[in-house]
Amino acid sequence: MTLAYIVIFASFVLFAISVVFALGWAMSHGQMQNFQRGATAIFDPDEPLGTRTDSFPGSATHVEPPPEGSHE
Amino acid sequence: MSDQTISTAQTESQRQAFARQRAAIDASARWPVLGFFTGSVVWLLVGTGLALLASIKLHSPEFLDGPSWLTFGRIRPAHLNTVAYGWASQAGIGVTLWSMARLSRTELRYPRLLMFAVLLWNIGMLVGTIGILAGEGTSIEWLEFPAFAPPFFALAFAIVTVSTMVTFSNRREPHVYVTQWYLIGAVFWFPWLYTAANLLVIYASVSGVSQASINWWYAHNVLGLWMTPIGVGSTYYLLPKVLGRPIYSYQLSLLGFWSLALFYNWAGVHHLIGGPLPAWLITLSIVGSVMMLIPVITVAINHHMTVLGSFRQLRYSPTLRFIVFGAMSYSAVSIQGSLQSLRTINEVTHFTHYTVAHAHMGAYAFFTMIMFGSIYYIVPRLTGWEWASGGLISFHFWSTSVGVLVYFIALTFGGWYQGLDLNRADVPFMTIVRNTLPYLQVRSWAGILMAAGHLAFAALFVMNLLHIGKQRSGPTLFFDRPDAATLTVIGDASGRTV
Amino acid sequence: MNQGPTIFLGVFLTFASAWLGLVVAPYVQFEAQRSQNAAKVDAPPETPMEGLAAQGRQVYRANGCVYCHSQQIRPENFGSDIARGWGPRRTVAQDYVGERPVMLGTMRTGPDLANIGTRQTSAAWHHLHLYNSRITSPGSIMPRFTFLYEQRKVVGQRSSAALTFPPEWDVKPGYEVVPTNEAKALVAYLLAMDRSRPLEEPGP
Repeated sequence: MTLAYIVIFASFVLFAISVVFALGWAMSHGQMQNFQRGATAIFDPDEPLGTRTDSFPGSATHVEPPPEGSHE
Repeated sequence: MSDQTISTAQTESQRQAFARQRAAIDASARWPVLGFFTGSVVWLLVGTGLALLASIKLHSPEFLDGPSWLTFGRIRPAHLNTVAYGWASQAGIGVTLWSMARLSRTELRYPRLLMFAVLLWNIGMLVGTIGILAGEGTSIEWLEFPAFAPPFFALAFAIVTVSTMVTFSNRREPHVYVTQWYLIGAVFWFPWLYTAANLLVIYASVSGVSQASINWWYAHNVLGLWMTPIGVGSTYYLLPKVLGRPIYSYQLSLLGFWSLALFYNWAGVHHLIGGPLPAWLITLSIVGSVMMLIPVITVAINHHMTVLGSFRQLRYSPTLRFIVFGAMSYSAVSIQGSLQSLRTINEVTHFTHYTVAHAHMGAYAFFTMIMFGSIYYIVPRLTGWEWASGGLISFHFWSTSVGVLVYFIALTFGGWYQGLDLNRADVPFMTIVRNTLPYLQVRSWAGILMAAGHLAFAALFVMNLLHIGKQRSGPTLFFDRPDAATLTVIGDASGRTV
Repeated sequence: MNQGPTIFLGVFLTFASAWLGLVVAPYVQFEAQRSQNAAKVDAPPETPMEGLAAQGRQVYRANGCVYCHSQQIRPENFGSDIARGWGPRRTVAQDYVGERPVMLGTMRTGPDLANIGTRQTSAAWHHLHLYNSRITSPGSIMPRFTFLYEQRKVVGQRSSAALTFPPEWDVKPGYEVVPTNEAKALVAYLLAMDRSRPLEEPGP
């Protein structure tokens, strides 16, 4: 039972310390986030926007990029 | 969406550079991720067998009875732990490792250490499962592995967390995608959850209802703060990747993440509504459970609007089928969960098969189906080989989706009627038992259907590892691109050296 | 980019707040209650089960009885637990003090057992029921716990512990079924299960 108390409070203290550290670091490196760019970050020239990347094996449906500017 | 400036402005060499980067990332992840996936498939089959045994024993109690290790009370927790930690968690870890590397656009760190983690995890699974069947189970739900098993998982998980975070900290991609937030949350939350719960409940002398409180805080958070972030996070990545279009609203995804973190924590105690815990504690859990509607609805809107207009792609993409099914199930099961925590509903459903149906809607229809879809996407990119048979994939999808739906409907109705009758003191208990039997039998049939799907999946997985089927012809695409002849095969992601 | 620490901070704060309210506070509250109980001279024993019954709890645990049976009585206006005769009052935290593991249960495939010791006082019934529940309760889906019993040839006189079966269930002549120590412990546990005494619940 005493061990449980130790585990609970020690973890909480460790977390509190890391929070202070994280907060300090965040403030000294504070940057605003550009969320517009965020959603398209997973695309790149090799798997660009508009390219589907999955299909059934051996199916006749090719995975090809639709014509430029069109959207499904 | 007319913003095609990325693709129109880049040159061929830049495109190849990105392809090369991706190939290197996939290659770095190959052994650890395939290691965890192999473990997950093995335990999926074991867990499915145990599931069928447990299900049949409920309506045919003398089926395969005799030795102590086959009694329902041991088979049932063995099933839960093998599918939760053997199948679901290993699949989740594999997906996490690969996704974090891909999204960070850098190689996965410490692959050899991760292989050691695969070994640790599966040794833990083996000794833990044997322990339960031998009568050493703790009878604390979701924490049934006896005391000698958790250290394996704790150490394995520490390795996974370190690798994930170091990979993340070495990212080349400056933007931190929403999936990465979810995954960081998952690898931070789960080891803490797991360690704290095990230490307090198994190793320390916490007893009485304190144990129950900690127990259900842990158990529900395995679903809410381990499986959910990985499942939802994976969907946020693969849905747009497969479709080629971005998530509908990025701000909405943030709202979803932070409200999940805020509210899901509290929900665990709703498993004990009506029980011997302080009323304020239980009320808080109900509040948390209902507030969960916020992240759930934001996620549902986001996913639905992303797929809107492209539903016909479900015909052409295995990954999409499984993931869309899983994402819809997430919305459904979460709303159901919020409702279930309300006292008037809980009064009927608590202690019944209704809860079991709900649990499988979450752990299977949501999480497992998304894991299937993710594995279908990831594995060919690691091995360089196509899946051997589209027909088998289709069979897998239909048998598991129909199976889990039948399962859910059968036990939801059966459990609801069971609950209504339980609350009528003049209905004899044995009558209630008898009335549940047909629903339990339907569940066994559904289970057989799902098991058939799992066998197909396992066969496909083994065939891919053994390079049965077609080799992938391009660095990133599943099948021939019209301009494939002009491409150079990049790196060793195609696996041709193996 | 530096969302790392911000993410970490957010994750930690939300988690810690839940941890505090959900785990630490009730834990502290219950432990205080426990030491309060220990201080009372004629307070009921903290751990009501000793000896064979305490061993029986481990048999109950090892065989997963908790997966079909609950051990908690809900309040009078919430379900029909009391109306079914499962107990005279709802169960409270004090009823489970010191139990390891506490097996409140979340399924009622079988009836609640919180007060089974007051409802079923016959060891013989329990043994028959555990050996094959369909002997005492036709239609039951409870598994057979034959592995907790030993079927053996009668040597000299029948053992006093041997089960007495109804005629249609009897074992072949010259044989008897006796409970192992595990079965005896389990039945002792079931007979001792009683959470019906009036208790004064300290304020929340």
